[in-house]
Amino acid sequence: MQTPKVKEGKPKKVRTSKGKEGGGGGGDADDFDAWMKSRQLIKPDDQLELTEAELGEEVTKVLTPTNTNVLRNLVVFSFKDGEYVLAPTPSNTVTLISFAGNSLHVDSEEARYQVEESDEIGYPLPMPNYAVVEQRETLQEGEEEGEGDDDEKIGVDAKPVPEGGDEEEVEEEEDEEGKQEGEHATEGEGGAEEEERAGAQPAIPTSGKKKKLINQFNYCERATLTYVNPKRNVDTQTIPPPRSQFGGNVLQWIIYDSYNEDYEEQQKMGQLAGKRVSAKKTFKKKTAHAEQLNRKYLRCWQILERMINQNIFDDIGNDYRYWEDPADEYREGEGNLLPLWKFQYEKTKKMNVTELVFNPSYYDLFAVCYGSHDFLKQHNEGYLCLFTVKNPAYPDYIIQTDCGVMCCDIHQNYPFLVVIGLYDGNVAVYDLRDGCKEPMYVSRGVKCKHGECVWQVKWGPDMADGEINFYSVSSDGCVFSWILMQNKLWVTTIITLYIENGIADGPDGTKVTLRSGGSCVQFHPTNPTVFLVGTEIGLIYKCSTLFSSKYLMTYDAHNMSVYRIDYNRFDSNIFVSCSGDWRVKVWEDMRADPLFIFDLGSAVGDVKWAPYSSTVFAAVTTEGKVHVFDLNVNKYKPICVQAVVPKRKNKLTRLAFNEKLPFIIVGDEKGATTSLKLSPNLRLMVKPPKKQLYLDQLTLQTAKLEKLLSLVRELPDGDQAPDVATTVNT
Amino acid sequence: MADDEGAKEGDKKIVHIYPLVKHSDMKEEMRNEVVELIVSNCEKYSANYELCARMIKDSMDKKFGIYWHVVVGEGFGFEVSYETENIMYLFFGGNLAIVLWKCS
Repeated sequence: MQTPKVKEGKPKKVRTSKGKEGGGGGGDADDFDAWMKSRQLIKPDDQLELTEAELGEEVTKVLTPTNTNVLRNLVVFSFKDGEYVLAPTPSNTVTLISFAGNSLHVDSEEARYQVEESDEIGYPLPMPNYAVVEQRETLQEGEEEGEGDDDEKIGVDAKPVPEGGDEEEVEEEEDEEGKQEGEHATEGEGGAEEEERAGAQPAIPTSGKKKKLINQFNYCERATLTYVNPKRNVDTQTIPPPRSQFGGNVLQWIIYDSYNEDYEEQQKMGQLAGKRVSAKKTFKKKTAHAEQLNRKYLRCWQILERMINQNIFDDIGNDYRYWEDPADEYREGEGNLLPLWKFQYEKTKKMNVTELVFNPSYYDLFAVCYGSHDFLKQHNEGYLCLFTVKNPAYPDYIIQTDCGVMCCDIHQNYPFLVVIGLYDGNVAVYDLRDGCKEPMYVSRGVKCKHGECVWQVKWGPDMADGEINFYSVSSDGCVFSWILMQNKLWVTTIITLYIENGIADGPDGTKVTLRSGGSCVQFHPTNPTVFLVGTEIGLIYKCSTLFSSKYLMTYDAHNMSVYRIDYNRFDSNIFVSCSGDWRVKVWEDMRADPLFIFDLGSAVGDVKWAPYSSTVFAAVTTEGKVHVFDLNVNKYKPICVQAVVPKRKNKLTRLAFNEKLPFIIVGDEKGATTSLKLSPNLRLMVKPPKKQLYLDQLTLQTAKLEKLLSLVRELPDGDQAPDVATTVNT
Repeated sequence: MADDEGAKEGDKKIVHIYPLVKHSDMKEEMRNEVVELIVSNCEKYSANYELCARMIKDSMDKKFGIYWHVVVGEGFGFEVSYETENIMYLFFGGNLAIVLWKCS
């Protein structure tokens, strides 16, 4: 190991000389000098100063292969032999560092293989070294030739020795290590040559498929930046809750005083309240007492009033009962009407009389409805007044409503039950015994009322289970049946008055079935399921309560609204109708043509059969006249025409016969009801023939009517009924 | 003063102990509830005014929202600012004054 150290100095020198030889340029020499200088400078201070002789002196050092540090007498106790035996000497190798690397030598087989596989290495691989030796030899020859005299001294001294040595060494090494790796031999020849080789030798052309290794540091990164949503701050400040100040002092006497004050106040208040309560109680007692008293007084006053009225109207009273016009004896087929009292109520002077109904139980009591027939002049109130003949000054009962009362009816069996129909389509039932302030029943809700003015209401016969019911007819084309339940009115539609073939185009292509508005209704006297409905278009429908889909009969009766239909009292097949087209017609059941037609010269408001005669009926016109007919006396003319109210100022609207006494009442547009006594000629009874004195009036009246009708019926069927109405001339 | 009071009481022999609302701008419903609450608490903790005040405050905070202040005592002076419609100054039991108000 130490031989190379000695030798090291020499090769260095050789190299330097070589460098000089090879450099040729001055630059290289300068560098060398600088290097030399620096080398001298780093000589340690404590180095021995030696003379040239001393330096030149050769010191021989002998190197032995024996390692003196190795222990040679190591023993180990052998349990087998039971003595110390010599341990084998440890090896000479001392491991200073052991490094397990993953590097491969470039020239190794493995490395070459790997390179072939990957074709990825930092620098080209050198050629195998077989050719290098030859090259070098030529180079050396060249050097020797080319360099010449410049470095002859050194070259002569140094060259042959080391070169030969080198060669020998190389050869020796090659011998020693074998020829497995040729490159190793070149190591000894110096770095310069290696560098030369590296530069000169071309890279070995790699064969085989190139495989690209993935470089984990060679990649591409892509990114994109989106918009950043802007941030905002929104602040709001609310109004702080209101604050107040309060202060005070709490001291015992303050508390005490406060209590006293409050207590006193409470005492006062208590006294006052007590007084009030007692006052209220006394007041209530007083009013109740007063009411009782008032009722008693009222009765007294009523009796008194009647007595006074009887005295005032003594002459009229006498006329009402006993006066018979003696002139009638000298007049054939003519009669007249004697005006009796005029019934008026202060609050209804500007309203129309819309209906007159006699009470079935009390013959001198009758109901008068006040409303308005004028669409444009509707009042915000309506009245139903019940007058008695005994007291023409003031009505016995007054019922006030929100809108005009258009009709009413008094129950046959319960004379205290009054049903009224209102202009707004509602109906109400009053019990006269309970007072007239609140109705006993009233229709409520949108569905449970008529859509338009109610024109007539009629009590029906009690139902099988005793429930009271009535019927109503209205302009909305419906006939309703109302049943008085325990606490409400139960309504059912009896019939809707659709016009036959009356389909009109509605909005957006729909079809609307037209209805005709009902204007009056009359029930058959003997068959309670059959009734006649007069309509606003002039038709009269005969209907039944049993089914609502079909009309039993349709009479093309009038050209204008039918105002009244009335059944004959003696023959229920005969009825009379009147209309706004000035005409009164007498019909027979199921006969399309009327038996009699009378033209009264103005709209006929009402027509009624007389209760006492089968051939007498009366009608009132808007001219203010009352027409009384007796078909038995005159088939063409009324036997009495009398103006009751002034022609231009007033109109007659309604009429009613008294059931018992020979007088009628007529209502007008000024809210007045006039009673008129029928003269004897207007109430002629049938005189029984001498041979048949036993016959009663009923039979005679029926016979009279039958006889009359037979005359009319004799008309041949083909002939048109006398449409030329009998015009009444007055 | 105390003597006078004693004399008066001796004359009248009436000691009022019902709750007397001296001042309050609360709504009727709330006032009734608060009076009831105060009365029940004062009767329950009649010996310990501190505890009484604490209990009233806690109940009020629960029922009508926080930041109530309650003073219970027999003699004191006060000057407070409060959120309008949230004060009651009440006498109870003849010798006790309770002030409670809300202020955050």
